[in-house]
Amino acid sequence: MAKLVGVFASSHAPLIIRSWKDVSPSHQQDLTRSLTEIGRRIKAARPDVLIEIAPDHWVNFFINNLPSICVGMGEMHEGPTEPWMKDCPFKKISGHPKLANHILQTALELDFEPSVSHHLTLDHGFCIPLWRSGLDPLPPIVPIIFNDLEPPYPSVRRCMQWGTMLAEAVQSYPEDIRVAILATGGLSHSIGEPTMGEIDEPFDRECILHFEKGDERPLIDFLNERLPTIGNGAAEIRNWVAAHGAAGKSGFEMIGYCNCPEVYVGCGFASWNLGASV
Amino acid sequence: MRDYWLSKLFFDLQSSAPLGEEYRGSPKQILDRYPLKPEVRTAVERGDVAFLAQRVNPYLLRYYFVVVGMSEAEFLRKVRTAGAAAAARSSHG
Repeated sequence: MAKLVGVFASSHAPLIIRSWKDVSPSHQQDLTRSLTEIGRRIKAARPDVLIEIAPDHWVNFFINNLPSICVGMGEMHEGPTEPWMKDCPFKKISGHPKLANHILQTALELDFEPSVSHHLTLDHGFCIPLWRSGLDPLPPIVPIIFNDLEPPYPSVRRCMQWGTMLAEAVQSYPEDIRVAILATGGLSHSIGEPTMGEIDEPFDRECILHFEKGDERPLIDFLNERLPTIGNGAAEIRNWVAAHGAAGKSGFEMIGYCNCPEVYVGCGFASWNLGASV
Repeated sequence: MRDYWLSKLFFDLQSSAPLGEEYRGSPKQILDRYPLKPEVRTAVERGDVAFLAQRVNPYLLRYYFVVVGMSEAEFLRKVRTAGAAAAARSSHG
């Protein structure tokens, strides 16, 4: 049977690529250290497949057809198409259709209704953490897109349930493979809104505290209350919630936090301690 | 509320570098392909951030003004002004 060997989360701020030279040396150091550590931990977990949860930044979907949650079933995914991601080494990214299909079937059996795609383009939200954490060569990726960009969003509670279900899907997959999960996005930021550029560090710190405590209800209540009141980019914390659910709602460890106005994002990096069995 | 065709215009422009280039050279020809309401088209032609911000996803709004070459500083100024104006309207009922 497959084994869940690691759960991780990482911000994916575009300006880490687009305007790296404008980032202060100390913030460059902080971000590089955290991304490198994420990469080190993922490599140490030796995953045969990486499930990656990220939003779609208007690359695959539009408001004529906007899935809430979409599982990427393809044998191959396209790399990022944003012009400023042209130096990203991942032009084609291998998928893992068998695990993706098992996730799909598990989801349906447990009364989830995912959308599916057999050919996704993985934008910067997927690729910046893969690239900047030094994961080259990449393991096959099963991408799962959460709609964090355009309301209506999946509920925070549903995202937690998705994470729990993903862990069940991994554990019931019949092949003896090692699987890790990487959630990307967040923490606080605001894009294209009057508050663009504002980072709410007190919110981020409180959010981190809730993940550290682990308890499901206070975390969900906190996010339900606060997400509508801060910048739109924080909606991506839903992906971290799914990771938290997959990790069994415990073992959260913050690797690094950088309030980085140069990239408009309160950048967070985390992993979950799954215990000694992995 | 979302204006579908305005959103589609912004989505298409940020999806295709050649279309973006064509738009910068000849916006009228591209705008003619979209059934925009007159007041929406006027706002696009004027680069009226405050008007457009009420009708499209904020990410698409930002991507559009990157495509047309508005500087980051100018976009930030306009989008923040739009927010302040909306807040003032709201406070006056």
